[in-house]
Amino acid sequence: MTAIVRSFLRHPSGMLGLVILLLVVALALAAPLLYPGNPWDTVAAPFTPPRTDGMLLGSDSLGRDIAAGIAHGTRVSLMIGVVSTLVALLIGVVVGALSGYLGGRIGELLMRFTELFQTIPAFLLAILLVAILTPSIRTIVIAIAVVSWPQVARLTRGEFLALKEREFVQAARCQGESALALIVRHILPNALSPIIVTGSLAIATAILIESALSFMGLGDPNLMSWGFMIGAARTMIRTAWWMSVFPGVAILLTVLAINLVGEGLNDVLNPRISRQ
Amino acid sequence: MTVKTPLLSIQNLSVVLPSSGDRAYAVDRLSLDIGENEIVCLVGESGSGKSMTAHAVLGLLPPRVSIDRMSRIEMMGTDLTRLDPQAMRQWRGERISMVFQEPMSALNPLQRVGVQVAEALQLHNDARVSRTEIDERVVAIIDAVGLPSPRQIVRSYPFQLSGGQRQRVMIAMALLNNPRLLLADEPTTALDVTTQRQILDLIQSLQAQRQMGVLFITHDFGVVADIADRVVVMQHGIVVEQGTRDEVLRHPQHAYTRALIEAVPGRKARAIARGGVAAQPLLKIEGLNKTFVTRSGLFTPPRTVVAADSIDLSITEGETVSVVGESGSGKSTLGRMVMRLIEPDSGTILFAGKPVGHSVAEVREYRRQVQIIFQDPFASLNPRQKVGEAIARGPIIFGTPRAEALKIAAALLDRVGLSAAAVDRFPHEFSGGQRQRISIARALALKPRLLIADEAVSALDVSVQAQVLALLAELKTEFGLTMMFITHDLRVAAEISNSVVVMQKGRIVERGAPAKLFSGPQHDYTRQLLGAMPGLDFFEHRIAA
Repeated sequence: MTAIVRSFLRHPSGMLGLVILLLVVALALAAPLLYPGNPWDTVAAPFTPPRTDGMLLGSDSLGRDIAAGIAHGTRVSLMIGVVSTLVALLIGVVVGALSGYLGGRIGELLMRFTELFQTIPAFLLAILLVAILTPSIRTIVIAIAVVSWPQVARLTRGEFLALKEREFVQAARCQGESALALIVRHILPNALSPIIVTGSLAIATAILIESALSFMGLGDPNLMSWGFMIGAARTMIRTAWWMSVFPGVAILLTVLAINLVGEGLNDVLNPRISRQ
Repeated sequence: MTVKTPLLSIQNLSVVLPSSGDRAYAVDRLSLDIGENEIVCLVGESGSGKSMTAHAVLGLLPPRVSIDRMSRIEMMGTDLTRLDPQAMRQWRGERISMVFQEPMSALNPLQRVGVQVAEALQLHNDARVSRTEIDERVVAIIDAVGLPSPRQIVRSYPFQLSGGQRQRVMIAMALLNNPRLLLADEPTTALDVTTQRQILDLIQSLQAQRQMGVLFITHDFGVVADIADRVVVMQHGIVVEQGTRDEVLRHPQHAYTRALIEAVPGRKARAIARGGVAAQPLLKIEGLNKTFVTRSGLFTPPRTVVAADSIDLSITEGETVSVVGESGSGKSTLGRMVMRLIEPDSGTILFAGKPVGHSVAEVREYRRQVQIIFQDPFASLNPRQKVGEAIARGPIIFGTPRAEALKIAAALLDRVGLSAAAVDRFPHEFSGGQRQRISIARALALKPRLLIADEAVSALDVSVQAQVLALLAELKTEFGLTMMFITHDLRVAAEISNSVVVMQKGRIVERGAPAKLFSGPQHDYTRQLLGAMPGLDFFEHRIAA
């Protein structure tokens, strides 16, 4: 474990991503301290450009502080990204592992079920689910998880199919390991690095989906989010560029950071590459 | 051998390793000559620098590895070390060709064999060769390497060919442009004994026909005895001995050469302890059948492979029985059926007089007494599990407290010749031979009564193989084991077993004590296997003794 941490610390782009990500997380944690009060409150004249009236990033069409919106939106974006990905991983890994390990008819059945979800375009399905379930942070998390677990399931199944035939798994079976122990101790750890990488990239995708939903007005109406800010600002991009650019940069940096960390993890978790 | 200017002359070749390597030079001031019409064997263990030497000749060294400036590699009046990459390409595949060890990975799986062979021709002929001429020459060369129905082979994909056939294709590809020099890097190590014999014969006859020079890399003195004109022995990048085959084999000067020759298995039968003669066999197999059926499509008839055809076999307590046969003979399937990893179609397996039940608990209890060691030391250990944990898991599962199980693991590691400190390390830190020792320790941790070794030494260098075999023989007496030893190599079987069973196409064709089998084989197939043993002529008098 310490060896993995140490080689991650030596991974330049992974560390860059981690630093940005930590700054984003710090911003999310510090939001109530930096901008106490409600980000929806009008605090200045509408369309105040950046760095005037004590506002770093200016105000929007209703005089709300953009910086406060971004800081509070960080909490929403990260939370939705992480929680929906965890749910997707949970479903995907369980379905994929069962399908790959058991194989046969049950395995096939589980895969046909997975394909059912994959045949519907992901974003349309997410819109549909949120629209039917009425937009709230819970329904958004559910919708994103529902559209992102199939690819995790397929990946996990593929890894399991290849790994379960390997001799070390058979050797462990001969040692008397139970099926659960084979999955948890022997197959899963060796399948983990692609799953972790996919998971970290899925967080980035989830943030993008959430932004897109909010952009279309399907976000949680009580929560300030980056996508909502861009959506609200899109008609005024030529007169008040700062209203859409800064939330956009926030999305870009966060997604980039998560991708860098994901790739860094990919390199580090592969024991052969990391120790060279 | 005619004495004239050599075809290839390597002088003072030093291959410099990156500073992070465990030694400064992979090859240290190596000098050797290869004449026209001569087979030179370069012998050494893995890591001795023999492959690096061949790669240096072709200018195919890995990144960050370089040739020292003092080195010269001369062929037909040109110093190959001074050639730029463009000029080197003209030499590669035209005047010098190479055959690699792994025929499975050296061919593109998505291209038909004929296309891949033809590529070698197209690359080296500036003048446009007509389509039909290319086809003809490809078919001719495929025919020349002894492949049946060449026109059909040309249209096949690599996965449709066996390992031996692929290696023949590789040789065809290498010889298509009539090279003067062939570099063969362990071309038979991945093959079983009978196929190895065919490939060795092929290389030898093609070499004689074409009067080529051949640099043949191997770790097996049995192979050397069969094909070499001259021998160069390497250790840690340094040439320790060279001379004609007879000089080196009959009067080895260097201790390392002697050790390598000693390591060739089957020269001497070990004192094989045969435990107390038990009244009933420990393992008794009766009428075991297994047929594999693969359905490839809706309209193609399913392909069936008979892996076991009414097999009867009994192993007495304390005995070592070898199951010998080539790949596809069903010997591994037999081992796996005994291990209950594959369920037989019909037949009974009795262990200590009782059939083994089908419930999870019964199979688990049975497997506690029967353990297996697999062939591939790199695939049989979980790369993410510490070595100590891997060994201790067995006892832990059966109720030994963790701390105690780890102590057992440490003691076993010590016993198999690794330090107890290995407990906290991961498998990738160990060499192939060391990993196989770990696998042995893992199998012994459960104190089994029957140990199945499925080609347990086949992937190892001959010298490492000898050490592991010696270890197994010791452990057998120490732990009172009964062993079922699955191998393709009769030499190995002769060395460690009380009784040998020869399998062909899922059937047992002959069985008996090794000495009897060697002196008077009854079945054609046994004779064929015996004839395939490398170094037979040279080592024969020692085997018979």
